[in-house]
Amino acid sequence: MTNHTSNLTTNHTSKLTMNHTSNHTPGFTSGALVKLELIRSLRNKKFLFFSVMYPAMLFLIIAGGADATTEVGDSGLAMPAFMMVSMASFGALTAVLMGNSERIAKERQSGWVRQLRLTSLPGRGYVLAKTASAAVVSLPSIVVVFVVAALVKDVRLDAWQWLALTGAIWAGSLCFAALGVAVGYLATGDAVRPVTMILYFGLSVLGGLWMPTATFPGWLQSLADWTPTHAYAALGRAIELGDAPHAGDVVLLVAYFAVFAAGAAWLYRKDTLKA
Amino acid sequence: MVHMTTTVTRTAAGGATRTAASAVSFERVTKSYGEVRAVDGLTLDLYPGETVALLGPNGAGKSSTLDLLLGLRRPDSGTVSVFGTSPREAITAGRVGAMLQSGGLMDEVTVRELVRLACALHPRPHRVDEVLAHAGITQLADRKVDKLSGGQQQRVRFALATAGANDLVVLDEPTTGMDVTARQAFWATMREQADQGRAVLFATHYLEEADAIADRVLVLHRGRLLADGTAAEIKAKAGARKVSFDLEELRAGDPDLERRLRELPFLSAVGVFGHTVRLQSTDADATVHALYGLGIYPRNLEVAGLGLEQAFVAITAAEEAKAA
Repeated sequence: MTNHTSNLTTNHTSKLTMNHTSNHTPGFTSGALVKLELIRSLRNKKFLFFSVMYPAMLFLIIAGGADATTEVGDSGLAMPAFMMVSMASFGALTAVLMGNSERIAKERQSGWVRQLRLTSLPGRGYVLAKTASAAVVSLPSIVVVFVVAALVKDVRLDAWQWLALTGAIWAGSLCFAALGVAVGYLATGDAVRPVTMILYFGLSVLGGLWMPTATFPGWLQSLADWTPTHAYAALGRAIELGDAPHAGDVVLLVAYFAVFAAGAAWLYRKDTLKA
Repeated sequence: MVHMTTTVTRTAAGGATRTAASAVSFERVTKSYGEVRAVDGLTLDLYPGETVALLGPNGAGKSSTLDLLLGLRRPDSGTVSVFGTSPREAITAGRVGAMLQSGGLMDEVTVRELVRLACALHPRPHRVDEVLAHAGITQLADRKVDKLSGGQQQRVRFALATAGANDLVVLDEPTTGMDVTARQAFWATMREQADQGRAVLFATHYLEEADAIADRVLVLHRGRLLADGTAAEIKAKAGARKVSFDLEELRAGDPDLERRLRELPFLSAVGVFGHTVRLQSTDADATVHALYGLGIYPRNLEVAGLGLEQAFVAITAAEEAKAA
C-alpha cells in the first residue's frame, strides 16, 4: 500500500508539471506527420517518377515536334504553350490524386489509420497531412514541366504569368486532392487502384489534358466542357493569354471541390464510426 | 469483494483523489452489430496501479470492449469514461497508450522514424532513444518497418503505445508472435509500468500470462462480465478441483467400473486415459470419499486446484449450459 501511495503522488506531480509544459498544438503535431509523409514520398521512386518526371516526358513526346506558330483549335495558343499547361496540370493531378487515394485506402486496410486514432493527432490531421505532403510533391511536378517547356520549346511568358500559373495550377489541384481522399475512403484494398486509374485517365483524357478537346467529336466536346480537369487546365490557359481565369471555370472547379470535399468528409466520418 | 476493499484503501492512501478515482469506467454499456450483441450491459471500473487481464473466448466481446474504451466505437447505450472524460479527450490529453492487434504500421519508414513520430504526437513524450530501448528495438532502429518479423513489429507497436507518459496502457493480445524470451522481457516492462502507478489492461489468450501477471482478472462472455477478481478468486469461483489417480482394475477393461466412476458425486468432468482417471469435482472431499466407497484401490491419488485456464473453461462452460 505504501508503495502505491508514493507512486500515486509522483504520478500526480508529473501531471502537474505536464500542465505547464503542454504547449502542443494540433498544427505542430500534424507537422511531424507531414514531414514523415514527405520523407516517404521522396523515397518512393515510382511515385516520384510518375508525378514529377512523367508529365515532363509526355510534354516532350506530344509537343516536342510541334512548332510555335500553329494555333491549337481556337485556343489562341500554340501547341507547346497549350500542352505545357495541360501537362503541368496533369502532373499536379497525378501527385495529389494518386498520393491520396491509394495510400489512404492501403493504410485504412493495414490498420495504420486506426493506430493514428490512438494518438492525440486530431482525426482531420491525417487527411490534412496526406494532402499537404501531396501538395509539396505536386509543386516540383508543375515546375519541371515549366522548365522543360521554357528550355526545350522556348515558351516565353512574363514573370507574373509564370507565378500566376504556378499558383493557379497548384491551388486548383486541391480539388483533386479532395477527390483522392474521397476515393481513399470509398474503395478498399484491391479496388482502389482500378478505381483511381479509371478516374485518373478518364479525367485526364476527357478534360483534354493529353490532347486538345478540339479534336473530339462535338458531343464529347460538350461533355468535356463540364469536367473538372477541363476547367482546371482552362485556368492556366487564360493566364497564358494574359487574362485572369474565367469566372465560369473557377465556379465549376470550386463547385467540384465542394462536392468532392463534402463526399470525402462524409466517407471519412462513416469510416471513423465503423472503427 | 476483496478486490473492492483494496481499491478503496488505495484511494484513501493515494490522497490525490483525482488520480485515485477510476481510470476507466463502463456504466451499463451496450453495443450491438446488427443482431449480435457484442457488449451487453457491461459495468466495470479500473483503477490506477492495477494490472488487469481481460479474458474470454473468441467472440466474447473483448475487442469490442477495448474499441469502446478507446473511443474507436461509440456505445449504443451507457457511458464509457476514461479519467473522468470521454475516451477521445483522454487520448488527446496523452493519458492513454494503446496497442491493438488491428493496429497497423506505416510502411516505407524506419523504426526510428516511426517512433519519433509517435513521440512528436504525444503531449508528454519520452525521449526517442528511451522508447526504443524500453521496447527492446534499439538494434532495429534503422530497419524498415515493413521488413520486420511479426514479433518485431509487435514490439514496434508496443513502442508506439509507450511513446509518452501514459496513465493507462491498453494492450490487445500483446505477446502474439513473440518468443518466450521476448514475452518475459515484455511483461517485465509492463510490470514496471504498473508499478509506476499506471493502469494496465490487457486482453490475452495465454491464460498463464493472466495468472502470472495480472492482479485482477475479468472474464468476459457473450459481452457480459462473468467474473471479476484475482486469479485465485476466479479459480475458487470455478469451484472445482482436479482429482486424478491410476486404477489397475481398468487395465482389465471393466466397462462397469468406468460407468461407476462416472456416477461419482459432484463431478463436473470425467476423463479416462488408459488406466489413468482424471476428474473435476465441485466437492473433491466428497468425491474421494465415494471413490474409496467403490471398494477399489486408486494409486497415485492427487487432488489439486484448477489452473486458471481450467477455471476459465469451467466458468464459461457453466454459463453456456445456463444459456442453453
